[in-house]
Amino acid sequence: MTTEVTEPKPLVRAEGVRKSFGNNEVLKGIDLDVRRGEVVCIIGASGSGKSTFLRCVNHLEKIDGGLLRVEDRVVGYRLKGHKLHEQSHNEICADRSDIGMVFQHFNLFPHMTVLENLMEAPLRVLKQRKDEVRGRALGLLEKVGLAEKAQAYPRHLSGGQQQRVAIARALCMEPKLMLFDEPTSALDPELVGEVLRVMKDLARTGMTMIVVTHEMGFARDVADRVVFMHGGRVLEEGPAEAVINHPQNERTRAFLSAVL
Amino acid sequence: MSGTVSLSKTTGTRGEYTVVTARHPWRWVAAATVTAAVILILVSAVTNPRFGWDKVALYFRDTTIVNGIGITLLLTVVCMAAGVALGVVLAVMQLSANPVVKASAGMYVTVFRGTPVLVQLLFWFNLSALYPEITFGIPGVSLDANQLITPLAAAILGLGLNEAAYMSEIVRAGIQSIDQGQGEAAGALGMSRLQTLFRVILPQAMRVIIPPTGNEFIGMLKMTSLVSVIAVPELLYSAQIIYSKNLQVVPLLLVASIWYIIVTTVFSVGQAYLERRFSRGTSRSVPPSAAERLRHFFRIHSPQASGRGSQS
Repeated sequence: MTTEVTEPKPLVRAEGVRKSFGNNEVLKGIDLDVRRGEVVCIIGASGSGKSTFLRCVNHLEKIDGGLLRVEDRVVGYRLKGHKLHEQSHNEICADRSDIGMVFQHFNLFPHMTVLENLMEAPLRVLKQRKDEVRGRALGLLEKVGLAEKAQAYPRHLSGGQQQRVAIARALCMEPKLMLFDEPTSALDPELVGEVLRVMKDLARTGMTMIVVTHEMGFARDVADRVVFMHGGRVLEEGPAEAVINHPQNERTRAFLSAVL
Repeated sequence: MSGTVSLSKTTGTRGEYTVVTARHPWRWVAAATVTAAVILILVSAVTNPRFGWDKVALYFRDTTIVNGIGITLLLTVVCMAAGVALGVVLAVMQLSANPVVKASAGMYVTVFRGTPVLVQLLFWFNLSALYPEITFGIPGVSLDANQLITPLAAAILGLGLNEAAYMSEIVRAGIQSIDQGQGEAAGALGMSRLQTLFRVILPQAMRVIIPPTGNEFIGMLKMTSLVSVIAVPELLYSAQIIYSKNLQVVPLLLVASIWYIIVTTVFSVGQAYLERRFSRGTSRSVPPSAAERLRHFFRIHSPQASGRGSQS
């Protein structure tokens, strides 16, 4: 739980990020740094903009103002001198390939087996060799405890199993950053634990993770830092223990007392 | 069970009770009514000599007719293949982010859906009146339109291009039926738009696209009869050739009709099985095929069945 600067340059840096849907401004200037190896949980009520912010990080949403950097790249743009050139779709795709994303509704490909789900992008996007990808995919399935489901189709799996496959699918691209968009919100309560366990194991390996979640227990146990968002702004951030157990902001307190 | 066929059908017992199956008296009333109507029609058809059934039998397997069926099937397959291929391209264009591409696909659909296919066929047939020489704008290339646009070529162009407009709408609906999350997941994995389309979206959209495409196929089979107006010797035109010589109009139209029914029926059965295949695993219970329904009818209406339990 060290929030001291261990590395000068953050992996993700958001500077005054703004985003509107029509006249509705959902992000009103977000500033946030995420360091390499850090696990950051973003909490807040629905409509606070936390999912939108997460989707901006890999450019599933285009930002309207501010800057978002991942490593030395500017998300969605090519930096040339002092000019930002908007990227083409294929350039954006190439940039996304080392950022993993896990969705609330899993979004596995239903017409492919579990193994095919994992192998598709490494084969087609990274153009890696089949036997190499296959070995890695099987290893990841082993890690998430689903080695015996490699040939099953997603519809034959429970929600918790599907989400674990989705995590393995994202990891199969060997990303340097993992984004989780409410990964347990669509699950039956008894299935939440198995997904959180996989995420906890992943955090221990030193993966940089940004997790939008309602699981306060997970945030307290696993996150290095917790960010509370409200109305499109970051209202409070700090060490997980501090924010969850001793919130300073009045709105944070109100939110936490409602969910805990 | 053996020998005792009681009138009220019992299908087993539940504890101390005997289960009596539901009666369906109106089914038998409907059956009787329909049988009577069919008999009336049959009697009229058989006793009216102007139907010319002997002529129907005579020409049913005439070489001209059989060749006509061949042309009809060829036209159907070629035009459908062209329509599906071009339809996919148009559908993707309609969903494109590029406004020019999107608008041009929209214009294509407007023009080809907005004019009768018969008019289109006549246009292609008379293309040489519009462009006597086809150069494609390339110097040195000069093709005689009269030689290039044979009746068969005009038929394929007319039917194929028209079909593409309809197929594009079917494919577009199929693509749009797929959950947005699928495209997002593929995009988040770094897959390009084309990879996403061909590897993720279209394979799933097939389930929505296949049934109406089967309908289009059968529609196309009948639509080929339109090209008789530009003298392509398909099934209808072949019949017309014969009756223009022997004046047996009705018998030869009957020959053509019976063949159309035979071919469409064969394809309908094929379509039904194809649909069942593609709906597998998605709907909870796949509806029974025609053969299964027939077997079921005879199973529950045979005397031996009455004692056996058939409730699930």
